[in-house]
Amino acid sequence: MTLASRISAYREVIDEWLRGLYHGMISHPAYEKIEDEAEDLEDAFMLACFPDAFGIPSPVSYYTAELLPFLEDEFEAWERRLWDRETPLAGKAEGYHF
Amino acid sequence: MEPFVFFGGKGGVGKTTVSCAYARKCADEGVETLVVSTDPAHSVSDVFDQSFGDEPEPVDGIDRLSALEIDPEAEVSEHLGEIRGRLSDQVSTPMVNEIDRQLEMAHQTPGAYEAALFDRFVDVMRERDPYDRVVFDTAPTGSTLRLFALPEFLESWIERLMHKRKQSIDRFEKAAIGNREPRRVMDGDPVLAHLQDRKEFFEFAGGALRNDAAFFIVLNPDQLSVNETGRAIEDMQGEDLGVRGLVANKLTPSPDADEDGRGARYLRDRVETERERLDAVRDRFDPPLVAEIETRTREVKGDLLAEVAAELDVEVRADAPSFV
Repeated sequence: MTLASRISAYREVIDEWLRGLYHGMISHPAYEKIEDEAEDLEDAFMLACFPDAFGIPSPVSYYTAELLPFLEDEFEAWERRLWDRETPLAGKAEGYHF
Repeated sequence: MEPFVFFGGKGGVGKTTVSCAYARKCADEGVETLVVSTDPAHSVSDVFDQSFGDEPEPVDGIDRLSALEIDPEAEVSEHLGEIRGRLSDQVSTPMVNEIDRQLEMAHQTPGAYEAALFDRFVDVMRERDPYDRVVFDTAPTGSTLRLFALPEFLESWIERLMHKRKQSIDRFEKAAIGNREPRRVMDGDPVLAHLQDRKEFFEFAGGALRNDAAFFIVLNPDQLSVNETGRAIEDMQGEDLGVRGLVANKLTPSPDADEDGRGARYLRDRVETERERLDAVRDRFDPPLVAEIETRTREVKGDLLAEVAAELDVEVRADAPSFV
């Protein structure tokens, strides 16, 4: 094995490590956070659409019911998030990798 | 005058009689007319001795006049059925039950009835053709006013929903860094498209009510009815919908001058107090009193309807709608 090939193999390892580190420390938590915010906003949207799910009668639920056929994924995810999120803190803490 | 004419007022003052009489008057003078009952307790059928359904049907014996009665309950179940149909097309079977529960709940909220009624009457306005005049016999004051207030209220609500939806899609798009596929995309989002459709529907309703509709309030010469009329006028103005005129119905006939029995004295006394109330109505309220209709001993039907119609000083000529 020549010196050149050893150096390039070494650089490849470092490169991978750096990319992994960048992904793990910077980019992944970043878009996880943005996605969390998106989910929060979506939760607010779903709550505004279907407050009667919590027993709050809404004058618009008659109209928002029309959206249900298009909201399959969102609806399921919304319900799951509502069950999962035991405390508001737990939900927020998810975004940080302690 | 505007193509859409609404008659409102307290329960039992004779809104149906007055609206049917007016509709008949329009038809008799050559205007293609449709009378629509939005009161769940329908009585247009009783006036014409003929049963009407959800689609316009010609009234027997009167040319150019059709009638239809909106049944909110049927509207609600039709709406429910429609969504269910779409649900089974687009949603996977295990989710259908889950969502169906939500759907059921939405259709049992108190607002569902009103929303269904509102939807249908806006549809009637939108599909006005071939009628030149549509006369609405509305439900008693309170619920009708809420109905008229709906467009603006719902429009702003839908706008807020759209804003929220856009925000969340925007974040999902931003979260898709690099070549990750965003979970939701703004372009062609069916939810946004649907909300936009609804928004346009409410805009249309608001515009049609403000530009192409005239409102009349029917009242009786008793204090409760007069008070309620005052409140209704104020509320309508609050909604930016002006009341065009007032119709006094069920006035007591005065006895002949030479009569002096107990009955005659009673009538004279009554006529006196009713005069005072009507004078007060003329003084206090802005909209003019366009008709004073005497009470009839028999049910107002057939020829009597034409007689009542003759007492209505409301223009029949229908202008083409400016907004619809």
